[in-house]
Amino acid sequence: MSDDFEKNLREHLHSEAEETREFPRRLRGRIRDGIAPRTRARMAPQLALAGALVLVAVAVLAVRNPHVIFTDVPSTIKSIFQQQTPSPTPQPFTCTDRSGGTIGAASQLSTIRTAPHDGYDRIVFEFSGQLPSYDLSRQDSATFVRDASGQSVTLDGSVGIKLVFRNTDAGSGVSADAKPALISVKEIAQIGNLERVLSYGIGLASSQCVRVLELSGPARLVVDVATTASASTTAAPTPLPTQPAATDLGQFTCLDHSGGADSGSAMQLTHVRVAHQAGFDRIVFEFAPQAGATAHLPAYTLSRQASAKFIKDPSGQPVTMRGSAGLRIVFHGASGATSYSESRDQTPNLPVVQEVAQLGDFEAVMSWGAGLSRASCLRTLELSNPTRLVIDVQTP
Amino acid sequence: MLMDPTLGRVIERWRDGDRDAFEEVVDRYGLQLLRTARLILRDQALAEDAIQETFLKAWQRIGSLRDEDPGPWLTRIAMNESISTYRRRHRFQALSERFGRLGGGKVEVSAEARLDLAHALDRLTAEQRAAVALHYYQDLSVEETARMLKVPLDTMKSRLKTALRRLRELTGSEEAFA
Repeated sequence: MSDDFEKNLREHLHSEAEETREFPRRLRGRIRDGIAPRTRARMAPQLALAGALVLVAVAVLAVRNPHVIFTDVPSTIKSIFQQQTPSPTPQPFTCTDRSGGTIGAASQLSTIRTAPHDGYDRIVFEFSGQLPSYDLSRQDSATFVRDASGQSVTLDGSVGIKLVFRNTDAGSGVSADAKPALISVKEIAQIGNLERVLSYGIGLASSQCVRVLELSGPARLVVDVATTASASTTAAPTPLPTQPAATDLGQFTCLDHSGGADSGSAMQLTHVRVAHQAGFDRIVFEFAPQAGATAHLPAYTLSRQASAKFIKDPSGQPVTMRGSAGLRIVFHGASGATSYSESRDQTPNLPVVQEVAQLGDFEAVMSWGAGLSRASCLRTLELSNPTRLVIDVQTP
Repeated sequence: MLMDPTLGRVIERWRDGDRDAFEEVVDRYGLQLLRTARLILRDQALAEDAIQETFLKAWQRIGSLRDEDPGPWLTRIAMNESISTYRRRHRFQALSERFGRLGGGKVEVSAEARLDLAHALDRLTAEQRAAVALHYYQDLSVEETARMLKVPLDTMKSRLKTALRRLRELTGSEEAFA
């Protein structure tokens, strides 16, 4: 039997549960550590003993011959640390996007090498300085959007990988376009190098899983692309988020955008409007706070992509919208499940914005897609009273 | 429950020791499990401990997962972990609850002492909160809730009824539905 009390209880439990907005990174890290091989932990006593012996030896040496301590030992230690790190234990190939590197680390790409190996093609990006922050994303075509210009470029191959490095640029000797004669890797082309955001497109012969290794001394990002079908039998390629960077189009930028704040209770979507203005198509998402809550613009990310194909959340079903390019809009801490009653699939047929449709609304993560007639640059405005996110998509 | 093929491939990779595949499973089920654990444990840190232990056990016990959606299997582990975590951390309270049950009398709640739902939930036993969370938050049927917590159906019906009555008493809502 269900009554008002049970209804209130159900609503209360959902509200209380949603106070946990996301799965904490620290918890994910603890779990990852928990399943990692334990070799270091098992060797801890031996390492401690070895360290103690080294300290005793250094102390004896310091007393007998201080010169050795202050000149020879530091140079020896330096030479040890300058040696290249040995290859780590090979990791499995996975069909997922990857991120890593060091946020804020400044560096310069000094070389790109490729080589065939048994079962995979290897690409090595070598840097002077630390390994910069990077994002590797797989996509289902070999067509990329060049940063700054917004122009499409199609590489050799049928699918692709996009690699974006932050806070880095390319040295003068680095090839901007290479076509190695490999099984999987068909072309590696620089598709952006502006404002210290360096992007590469990699054209692949077919959809393959990848393995990423981070090495130091010198800093290298190693991308292994499988060449055998057995390593790539899982998961279709993820949709193709792109992350160009440029500001040479006035107020519009060919960047992915993000903003808002994932704080407080989830905001409720009330309206989605689409209209053409002089020079741009405008999409407006309007929100209202829950009763008693403070209004804020929920955290959002806008990701440009080179096709109008999207993946629905959480079903994972593919959906193709009108147009040839796309824009994915994801809000964290927002929902329209009970507050939004207008169309969830609009086809305004504007100069650039061809379709705007909801892709998901689950666990306070709400995503929408926009099918575009062409890859376009963006401008966002965050407005209040009422709370709105305005996305202007530049038109020709 | 049948798996979709994509998830099935992820599970196969997990069975082969692929840690990335396992992390995909953590991403897929982690938040829902953490929220449920927090409803039971009433404490974020304890809930995180329970879910960490849940996934570590799942990683070790993948061999016991049959060809099925891992969601219910993970939920069962998480419920066991949550309840045992609660018992470990609240032994004295658990003892008090046991004595309270032996007494069996209805707890009178004065108007001044009436609690909001959050505080009333604090007063339930961990087993009652697990039943309430699965039935009212995860929207499992009474039968599914009973299977998940491995108790007979009649026991589960009784547990949910007792929990609801207790919540009504504590919040002063029993008069309206008497």
